[in-house]
Amino acid sequence: MQRFRANLRFKSILGRIIFLHVIAIGIICILMPLLLYWLLARETDSLHRVAMRDHANMIARNLKQGPGGGWTLELPRQVRDLYSDTYGRYAYAIADDAGRAVLSSLSDKGLIFPVLSNPSSATVQQETHGEAVLSGISESKEIDGKDITIQVAENLRHRDVIIDDIVANFLQRVGWITLPILMTLLVIDILIFRRALRPLMRASSEAQRIGPSQTDVRLPTDGLPSEVLILVQAVNQAFDRLEQGFHAQREFTADAAHELRTPLAILRTRVDTFPETSISEAVRKDVERMSRVVNQLLDLAELDTSVIEPCEETDLQSVCADVVEFIAPLALRKDKEIALCSCEEPVRVRGNREMLFRALRNLAENAIGHTAKGSTVEIVLDADGTISVLDRGPGIREEDRDLIFQRFWRGDRRQFGSVGLGLSIVARIAEAHAGTVAVENRPGGGAHFSLRLKPVSSGRASSKRPSYAAKPESVQTEHQGTDPSPKGSDHHRAGR
Amino acid sequence: MRLLVIEDNPELGQLLAKGLIDAGFQVDSAATAEDARSALMTTRYSSIVLDLGLPDDDGMSILQEIRGKKDPVPVLILTARSAASDRVKGLRSGADDYLVKPFAFEELVARLEAILRRPSNLVGSSLQLGNLVFDTASRQAFINDEPQYLSSRESAVLELLIRRRGHVVSKRLIEDEVFGLFNEIASNAIEVYIHRLRKQLLEHGATVQIHTIRGVGYLLAEV
Repeated sequence: MQRFRANLRFKSILGRIIFLHVIAIGIICILMPLLLYWLLARETDSLHRVAMRDHANMIARNLKQGPGGGWTLELPRQVRDLYSDTYGRYAYAIADDAGRAVLSSLSDKGLIFPVLSNPSSATVQQETHGEAVLSGISESKEIDGKDITIQVAENLRHRDVIIDDIVANFLQRVGWITLPILMTLLVIDILIFRRALRPLMRASSEAQRIGPSQTDVRLPTDGLPSEVLILVQAVNQAFDRLEQGFHAQREFTADAAHELRTPLAILRTRVDTFPETSISEAVRKDVERMSRVVNQLLDLAELDTSVIEPCEETDLQSVCADVVEFIAPLALRKDKEIALCSCEEPVRVRGNREMLFRALRNLAENAIGHTAKGSTVEIVLDADGTISVLDRGPGIREEDRDLIFQRFWRGDRRQFGSVGLGLSIVARIAEAHAGTVAVENRPGGGAHFSLRLKPVSSGRASSKRPSYAAKPESVQTEHQGTDPSPKGSDHHRAGR
Repeated sequence: MRLLVIEDNPELGQLLAKGLIDAGFQVDSAATAEDARSALMTTRYSSIVLDLGLPDDDGMSILQEIRGKKDPVPVLILTARSAASDRVKGLRSGADDYLVKPFAFEELVARLEAILRRPSNLVGSSLQLGNLVFDTASRQAFINDEPQYLSSRESAVLELLIRRRGHVVSKRLIEDEVFGLFNEIASNAIEVYIHRLRKQLLEHGATVQIHTIRGVGYLLAEV
């Protein structure tokens, strides 16, 4: 559960490593000074014990039994002062085998520590005598054939100031150094991690390129660490299988649509060559609708596989004219009109003529399908490579504007017999040409689709409508309404 | 007008043959590339309707053989293949037209008539739409069998429109066909002729009408 939560919190390996690393370093930051402190304190204790033993040995060397059985200690002068009461740092006491104090530097002439049954120099004893806290050892010695115990101690209250300070202030004065050291280590580690993950990042960005029309991309295996290599190879194999599946599916769509064409052709021809009856027209419409879907499926299948040659150039002016010529009979049958508003000068863009024709045809068919009876669908070509298709239909609701370019989206626009493939074809073709398609509503009602394509730079230099400049005498007559001139709809341009 | 219809689907082949016979053609049918080759060896056809997907060979290779022999016989490809590359390939291999299945039968007939109407294939016949009849030999138009008096250029414009009835005739095509490439014409000349033709059609009760397709051209259709 904990693990699962950690997985959720960190999307990236790097983040996770850094997070865990920070926790580890935090713990080390606390533990390391404590450990050092403990080691230092132990070392101090050990030094103390050694010093005490030296004292005890030194006292033992200078201890003598007098003729009356009494004990005398004759210490060198400079040493004797160490045990003086005034100095107050060290103390000694000597006990005989019965445990009685025979000599003592303490003012009460008593023992420093109670006599232990099994005294050992390894045990540090501690005892409070008035103000003083005495810490030291008891050492058994045999001198002149008598067993005695020598007790030596140091007053902790008057301990060596330097050692004391080192121990007491260790955390404050020295311990902090571990923090910057560990922080530096953390930064270095992050750099190392990032470097180590770089091949993985490269593989990821390569993986992002894989799309329906780029299924042959495989993740690079060069320079990958062996742990990741296995994963990448497995993923590449999965891609192989996916590509096969994708191909199969694509081929199936194309084949199925393709296979439907001949039966549709038979059906259509049968209806066309038989005597006209009341149902002929209805059947003909059904066949047309089915043919449309089949054609669109094939268009999509072709689009998914085709690559636009970047060197191809197409004149949008002639594409627009072709589409209007193609759509006009259909429009007239539905009591609708279609008009082209453009200069006669070519507008050259990079792209495949047939594809651009299909894109615009779909936009025009869509517009004819939805514009009101008696109204005109206008196709406006601008010299900057933008084609606008304007209808007088119900328009597109704000929330549907992105959806309509998706496959099989239909909304309430089903009366045209569309299955919602047309606009997705437009979107795919626009995308394949590094162009865009967008829709907005027109003031006064209707939809305004705009297909933007990149003009070839040299064609762009020509002025916006050079044809009028070349034929100034034509302007007068071309305003007269019934002629096929683009002038008549200038107000639409201004209106947008 | 003898046509060879090369179509492997027997049902579609029969329907096409029947329809084309009804439309006034004589029709031979071939269901395989082999049949088609033997038919082509023995008979001279006015036009060939060629399906690309044949059981024993690709229709495209038949087209290449025909063109390889410098035979100018008009070929209309009838196919289920609609990819842009297929269409371009078909037309580059020397096909005169390319029709994708399914198609309106009248579209097939219209396209066949169009490719047969090339200079080498004169069709002395009259074109009809509604109560308007245009005799292509005499270039004479009739409305309700009543001859119309039109100037030669008006007749030429009307002929273009009725030949492509139901389809848009672009302004540029009219300029090129009627006025020639090198004649300077007044920019509104075509509008003037169209205006006169409309008036004529209206005054004599024609059941056809010239539509203006703004920005592109004109279209003749039944009212």
